[in-house]
Amino acid sequence: MMQQLERTALPRSAGVVVVGAGVSGCSIARELTRYTPDVVILEKESDVADGTTKANNAEVHSGIGEEYGTLKQKLNVRGNRLYDQFVEGLGVDFQRQGLLIVITRRSLPEKTTARLPRPVVNFLLKKVLPRLIVLSGRRKGIDGLRVVSRDEIFRMEPHVTRNAVAGVYDRTYGMVAPYKLTIALAESAVINGARLFLNTEVTDIKVEGGRVKAVVTNRGEIETPIVVNAAGLFADDVADMAGAGGFRIHPRKGASLLFDRQETAEYVTSSVSEFKMRGHAKTKGGGAMPTLEGNLQLGPTAIEVDDKNDTSISAEEIEEIFERFYYLLPDFPRASIISAFSGLRAPTEEEDFVIGASDKARGFVNVAGIQSPGLASAPAIAEMVMGILHDLGVPRSVRDDFDPVRPAPPRFAELDDEKRDRLIEQDPRYGTVVCRCEYVTEAEVVNAVHGIVPATNMDAVKRRTRVGMGRCQGGFCGCRVAQILAVELGIPVTEITKDGEGSWVFAGETKSFQKET
Amino acid sequence: MKQTRKPELAVIGAGPAGLGAALAATEAGLKDVMLIERDIELGGILPQCIHDGFGSIVFKEVLTGPQYAQRYIDEVERANIDVLLNTMVLDMGADRRITAVNATDGIIEIEPRSVVLAMGCRERTRHQILIPGFRPAGVIMAGAAQRDINIEGLMPGRKMVILGSGDIGLIMARRFTLEGAEVEGVYEIMDHPGGLTRNVVQCLNDFDIPLHLSHGATFIHGRKRVEAVSVAAVDENLKPIKETERLVECDTLVLSVGLIPENELSKRAGIALDQATNGPFVDERMETSIDGIFACGNVVNVFDLVDYVTHSAETAGRGAAEYVLEGRKREKPVKVTPGRNVFYVVPQYVSDIGRDIDFYFRVQHPERAVRTRILVGGEPIESKKHRMVRPPEMIKQGTKPADFADKRAVSEITVEVVPGEE
Repeated sequence: MMQQLERTALPRSAGVVVVGAGVSGCSIARELTRYTPDVVILEKESDVADGTTKANNAEVHSGIGEEYGTLKQKLNVRGNRLYDQFVEGLGVDFQRQGLLIVITRRSLPEKTTARLPRPVVNFLLKKVLPRLIVLSGRRKGIDGLRVVSRDEIFRMEPHVTRNAVAGVYDRTYGMVAPYKLTIALAESAVINGARLFLNTEVTDIKVEGGRVKAVVTNRGEIETPIVVNAAGLFADDVADMAGAGGFRIHPRKGASLLFDRQETAEYVTSSVSEFKMRGHAKTKGGGAMPTLEGNLQLGPTAIEVDDKNDTSISAEEIEEIFERFYYLLPDFPRASIISAFSGLRAPTEEEDFVIGASDKARGFVNVAGIQSPGLASAPAIAEMVMGILHDLGVPRSVRDDFDPVRPAPPRFAELDDEKRDRLIEQDPRYGTVVCRCEYVTEAEVVNAVHGIVPATNMDAVKRRTRVGMGRCQGGFCGCRVAQILAVELGIPVTEITKDGEGSWVFAGETKSFQKET
Repeated sequence: MKQTRKPELAVIGAGPAGLGAALAATEAGLKDVMLIERDIELGGILPQCIHDGFGSIVFKEVLTGPQYAQRYIDEVERANIDVLLNTMVLDMGADRRITAVNATDGIIEIEPRSVVLAMGCRERTRHQILIPGFRPAGVIMAGAAQRDINIEGLMPGRKMVILGSGDIGLIMARRFTLEGAEVEGVYEIMDHPGGLTRNVVQCLNDFDIPLHLSHGATFIHGRKRVEAVSVAAVDENLKPIKETERLVECDTLVLSVGLIPENELSKRAGIALDQATNGPFVDERMETSIDGIFACGNVVNVFDLVDYVTHSAETAGRGAAEYVLEGRKREKPVKVTPGRNVFYVVPQYVSDIGRDIDFYFRVQHPERAVRTRILVGGEPIESKKHRMVRPPEMIKQGTKPADFADKRAVSEITVEVVPGEE
């Protein structure tokens, strides 16, 4: 069952080729395998979830932040509803921890508040705005919303600014680790017959007589009648290859800060965000989110960039996050920061999802412009795309041999001592803690390397096990993980990479490049 | 799960602090001492410190790290100490109950009569100082690089920029050079070096490696592997001066930007921590806020000499033995207050003035021609001359019971730096 990755040659043909192994591509691929095993997933990076998906903030929004009537609003609301069912059997943690939308003195634009008498402003903020938010939610089909008083805000989240006036609680909002979900989806697809090829970049799409014929990659060509374009930031380029484009993806960067879970585990219990009327039109403004593991996360920012590879984080962005959250959470634990990261959203100019079969190249399906709430919408996107794919000829009946269960490898840190003991008896490597911050054992690292979608580099191991995600950021365990990887992959440790080609970790062995004198 | 073990003392961590504490406790009469170490060997960080400069106070000799460690390891092996290697302590409660794990015994429950915390410290990362830029391979902490080279035999890069002039960074600048890597320079955000003067001289000056004071890193370039680092001079508020920014090509950024005592277990147990040291509050016996739990070495505060770590460990080990054998109750402890130009003092409390006490402290800023004084109730009892005091160089100053002889009621102890030779 294990993927041989680049060692295996590409198949000559496939029923469906999915381009891109992010959360969208993998959701669709997994859904596809319910009906047909003849699916190939192509990913240009060295792991699944290695583009936009990995830097996603893990939020499963309710849809409250989306403009009424847009495709993304509809799919968001639908996707959120489907979530519990969607993750069933995948071995992925999903929790509806709720979102507290806080209305503060600066929730209304200054232009408005400056012109109105203070009691009117107060009335608007306290009485009108929260009800409007709830009503607007209902119109979109979200029923988990309720108005929260100022006192209740502080009872729920004591660290919230005293500038809070009122709030809205959104109980359908949840969190799921985007990369864990995507790995699980990919593995489930592979269990059910899909073939995943990493480090495989699509360079051309052959279209003949108005129909898709084949996908050309850096590693060969696959004949196929159906191509699903879930190429994220590069979806416009891939669509253009088939002459099925007409939209442009313009990358928008989002940076976030992550804090030590031991210090911040109870800092907020639900996600908290500040409501801004016509704030940042293009994002929901970010928030303070407790990850499922308990780390506080602050962000993301939203900055337009030109480069689809620009995942850097600037001093200004860090400053912006600090300023924003010093207001919302005046005592946030600045000193406990353990990581800063950024990722790129992949919106189109129109800012809505572009999902549909091309009329220029039959068999070509665009799943583009998927930005937030793409993670929340994933189940609904998969559902919608399946509808299109059935029309293109994918069988409509569920396979008898479809297996919905994807076995999740044990996580030592999450087990009680008795279960830990039993595991260690079976495999003593569960008794050797490699990552002391996150309590990740040697066995878990080994499992990651031999997983259904195997980890072949340090970051891939990290996404599967949390090794190096803690406060020391791999300072103690980095070398050890590289060594385990090398042994398990059967390659010299000097060939281990952080995140695929070019990201070498060691320059060589000692004494190998001392200067000749 | 095996039977609960009930040693007289459990020492967590077998670096110089843990080794010293376990031995001192044995010498003071404990028969059942357990030493728990997560690594595959004893010695902690010392085995990777192959440079010399260790032991000049304790042994009156200049030793390398491995040599220094070996002296204690040999003694621990001779003494009847129960050593658990490859064993990670997962949890500790306020009742001193410890849960640990290893591959052979599985989960281990320990209910010791006393505990010495000796977990050492970890290195500050790029994110804790928030260096902007990409997150490529090739950003590494100096201590991790030291381990790669000296223990694992692996070179983390070819052309390095070192950020921060802490001792490990300085020592690694020399080590990289000796291994044939190029060190472009060391950049230090403060206007004075972070490490000991002898290391600046022996590791940088002797190898013509430039030290750029008042400089910081402003951006890490390279998507897959470090390709360059932007550096800039900083103003008096430590903010980069844009016009001075320049690009330095390199494949590795080495960070030596501070150490943080590893007190996650202490926090789990609910031990009170000092925000200045990031370690537990301790009294003169190195006993923490919880009776029977002692702490020593870099978990208490980052010492700059291993000899001081050993001293604190011996105090803690003897303290634990005394606690177990005599069951001493602590009297009302007296607070030790950092006075003028003193950043922090260890111990932070004195429970018993009837013994020799060593105070370890750091100054806030460099100062010339000063005296350091220990005051009781505002009256100096101990005073020492210094030509120069600097934050990286810890000062040790002791008191004897006789110093307190004419003090009837001791309610406050202050440590301060005052100008002048008197």
